[in-house]
Amino acid sequence: MTTREICSLQFGHYSNFIGAHWWNLQEFSFSFTPDDYSEINNRVLYREGLTLKGQPTYTPRVLLVDLKGSLNTLAEHGELYDTSSSPKENEIPWHPNRIEVKEDVKKPKSEFLQDLDSGPSTTVNKNYNFETNVKVWSDCLYTRFHPNTINVIKEYEHNNQDAGFDLFMQGKQMWKTEKFEDDFSDKIRNFVEECDSLQGFHVILDGNNGFSGLGSNCIEHLKDDYDRKSVLAIPVLPSYYNDYSNETDEEQRTSQIKDSIRVINSALSFTDLAESSSLFVPLCTSKDGWRQPGLKREFNHVQYNDKLMYHTSAILASALDTITLKYRLREGHYSLSDLCADLNLHNRKLAAASLCLPFSFNEGADLIECLDNWDGPLTQSITPRCTIGTDRMMQLITLRGIPEDRLKKPYDKAGTQKDLPAYRCKNVNEMLNFYMSCTTFGTATNVTNISKDVQSIPILAGLHSCNEISATIESLHTEAKKIKVERLPQFTSTGLEKDEYKECLEKLLDLKECYEENYLL
Amino acid sequence: MAAISLLNPKAEVARAAAALAVNISAAKGIQDVMKTNLGPKGTVKMLVSGAGDIKITKDGNVLLHEMQIQHPTASLIARASTAQDDMTGDGTTSTVLIIGELLKQADIYIADGLHPRLLAEGFDKARAKTLEVLEKIKIPIEINKENLTDIAKTSLKTKVHPNLADVLTDICVDAVLAIKQENKPVDLHMVEIMEMQHKTDTDTQLIKGLVLDHGARHPDMPKRVTNAYILTCNVSMEYEKSEVNSGFFYKTAEEREKLVQAEREFIDQRVKKVIELKRKLCNGTNKNFVVLNQKGIDPMSLDMLAKEGIIALRRAKRRNMERLALACGGIALNHLDDIQESQLGFAGLVYEHVLGENKYTFVEECKVPLSVTILIKGPNKHTITQIKDAVRDGLRAINNAIEDKALVPGAGAFELTAYNELMSFKDTVKGKARLGVAAYAEALLVIPKVLATNSGFDAQDTIVKLQEESRLNPEPIGLDLTSGEAVNPKEAGIFDNYIVKKQIINSCSVIASNLLLVDEIMRAGMSSLKG
Repeated sequence: MTTREICSLQFGHYSNFIGAHWWNLQEFSFSFTPDDYSEINNRVLYREGLTLKGQPTYTPRVLLVDLKGSLNTLAEHGELYDTSSSPKENEIPWHPNRIEVKEDVKKPKSEFLQDLDSGPSTTVNKNYNFETNVKVWSDCLYTRFHPNTINVIKEYEHNNQDAGFDLFMQGKQMWKTEKFEDDFSDKIRNFVEECDSLQGFHVILDGNNGFSGLGSNCIEHLKDDYDRKSVLAIPVLPSYYNDYSNETDEEQRTSQIKDSIRVINSALSFTDLAESSSLFVPLCTSKDGWRQPGLKREFNHVQYNDKLMYHTSAILASALDTITLKYRLREGHYSLSDLCADLNLHNRKLAAASLCLPFSFNEGADLIECLDNWDGPLTQSITPRCTIGTDRMMQLITLRGIPEDRLKKPYDKAGTQKDLPAYRCKNVNEMLNFYMSCTTFGTATNVTNISKDVQSIPILAGLHSCNEISATIESLHTEAKKIKVERLPQFTSTGLEKDEYKECLEKLLDLKECYEENYLL
Repeated sequence: MAAISLLNPKAEVARAAAALAVNISAAKGIQDVMKTNLGPKGTVKMLVSGAGDIKITKDGNVLLHEMQIQHPTASLIARASTAQDDMTGDGTTSTVLIIGELLKQADIYIADGLHPRLLAEGFDKARAKTLEVLEKIKIPIEINKENLTDIAKTSLKTKVHPNLADVLTDICVDAVLAIKQENKPVDLHMVEIMEMQHKTDTDTQLIKGLVLDHGARHPDMPKRVTNAYILTCNVSMEYEKSEVNSGFFYKTAEEREKLVQAEREFIDQRVKKVIELKRKLCNGTNKNFVVLNQKGIDPMSLDMLAKEGIIALRRAKRRNMERLALACGGIALNHLDDIQESQLGFAGLVYEHVLGENKYTFVEECKVPLSVTILIKGPNKHTITQIKDAVRDGLRAINNAIEDKALVPGAGAFELTAYNELMSFKDTVKGKARLGVAAYAEALLVIPKVLATNSGFDAQDTIVKLQEESRLNPEPIGLDLTSGEAVNPKEAGIFDNYIVKKQIINSCSVIASNLLLVDEIMRAGMSSLKG
């Protein structure tokens, strides 16, 4: 069966954090022994290449964008293809003595990266103190990228409080600069040209800063140029910002303004995404998402610091990894376009995601018992302001890490298991399907199960298109409506008209209506 | 106490003299950074980032983009000069230098008690006069290879080393002349710039045709054909299952198979149309057939085409559709219903070149190529980037000359002449504004001064020498950078763009005046949002 490739795009620092974890996850699950047959087809996300020196490479088919200064020790063009060291002064063809060399302080690589450079396998059981050492995503990146992958925006600087890349409109303008649009769309084209049967695009984008504008415009471009390919957009919202740690009133006020800006950005990008993407799934590890941190989502047995991008992005990355599994398998015909078609009926372009990490499963227990004793909903929503209900929805559930022999006990040892109606289920898929049909009402569920390729813990993740999503949109609309956009000079000076914003709010309401039942009936 | 402090006690304020001092020092600062770049003897800067990324450049515009400018005034100046580059493709460094110098000169007079408003007035008068001088000094030209070569060479010599500049000059001039159509403005997009990490920088060449950065994706397709019909189209030859046939809707595998086949058939029909045409036109002749598609072509379709010996490329650049039509003739088709021979283009030679994982397809020997490709070669990434920036600027310079139909003598000649004229004009200006005119005239001299310093000559000596010479000589006089003596730029073939100079004069005067008139700088944010 031919590989149905996916091209991934990442816009923004938090997105890249998720990306870094995502690619690390992918590479850790690679199996290098030929007889250990993996169910996942890695060529969906990866591409084979050849350097000028004839060495084969295997790199992710991904393009990412970040700001200047966000890469720390990572070289823009990677080290796989261009190994030439910097030229000596006398090698530059110019009048001698008329050459100035400006060398930035060479940044020391972290211990983790140094160990990676020195060879594999030294990194496994060592404690690197990532919590304190990882400042930017490249600090924890294991994967090596293709030289085209990294795109740095020179005009704005990472973590610059005064002149940040904070506005949706800045992103839109950035896309329109000839240099950026030409270069970037050419790079997309280069990756797509290699693919024999591309399924579509994964676009992870920051949901509330300049990158959301940049990403939206890029998705529009994808829609124009690759009109029959699906685009799954994942706007991500960090659950913590540096400006929340304010002490003075003054700082608090700036933080509030920044929050308002972020809300506006989200509103603008959501309306754009509803129009141009095939499906979009906002993700955030806090319950509120739009404004101020809010409570963090709790997962059983998982302790994480919601102030650390390093932690929260890891959770979202593993959720994404499991959600997208269905169309990345070796077998099966299910594709990204099927997924989008299943979930975006009636223009319900926004889908919610949920996660159960880990899918807790006692030593020696069986799935049947585990499900029987399960208390409360199986999964925890990771879409802001959305509690996934049990009523009338389209959903796609993926479970990985439960081997078939842990389904139920054989008949002669089954004991009380025999009395459960689920005992007649022959495999994990069937049982999970049965469980879903019992716990939800009027719901079409599509279940996938992967038993191999799991090293430590089982995960269950789902994508849902349900009525409760209207709450997500409504809360965003309420927040956004409170803000008087004309009082934020940043927006008006970058070309956002009052009427335009009003229209955007109305579109949000339209989107919300798609999820209301009286509208459907 | 400034009024703002009543409203917002935390606002940072700098007033009057302090504000001016802030602006002037910023302008001087950025001028110092850029100064050494000016002219063909300026320094090349090699920037190495903390992660080891290398950038080698001499281009003011590139440098300004690379630098992290924090100071608000400095970044205002930087933006003005990058805007200069966006509009004209040259003159970034000059803009920074002149703004800096205007403020420096103004500082002297303001220290003596002259009001900035009067200075600004003088600047404005001087600007108008300088533009007059520019009109007088400009040399109307005919659009021919010689004139364009002069202007391109002057521009390129300030960006790359002389050997390479010579190569690039010829390439740029030939490229523009090739795509130039009578009585139509030149569209520089029709010069494709393609890069290849290969050989050395001086192997950069002009291809009178098109180079595409991808190749045929089927092993059996020919790698090289001659006398080829070129079909450019934007038609999908890729099977994609429609959304109706997704997961929830079909009942059995057979049902699904049927749907798939019906849809597959639809795509096959398209491919067959191409094959039919190929058979009609090429079978029995020595002609070949090449398909260049903007949309995708899947392996099945590729296979069908390969069996017929057709070369097929998928996912061509959108802009290449236009370029192909200009280079080989024919038109880009949006559907394949009754295609005619007249809709096809023609190329004498189409071949593939493989470099690592990159494939290049050359479409050459076109009859009258109205679109050409500059193929940049270099041993490493930073060399290629440097050449690419230079080529862009070279093309812009040529295009400017064609649009202006005029050139301005270079090597500082214009600035010297303007200085002389302004000094005599100064006496006709009434009141203190004449001091502004004098300051302006002084400031213009920064260009020849820095040119001299960068070439290792004494600035004062040179200026005196040149002024003496220009008093004796009615022709504009510039500076010969190798000897340090006066030279007639017309004879030496050193020219600048008219539009570049005009822009510099306009934008520098406006920005310098604005900065002078700033008497209060404050830094305060919106305090509240709601309500």
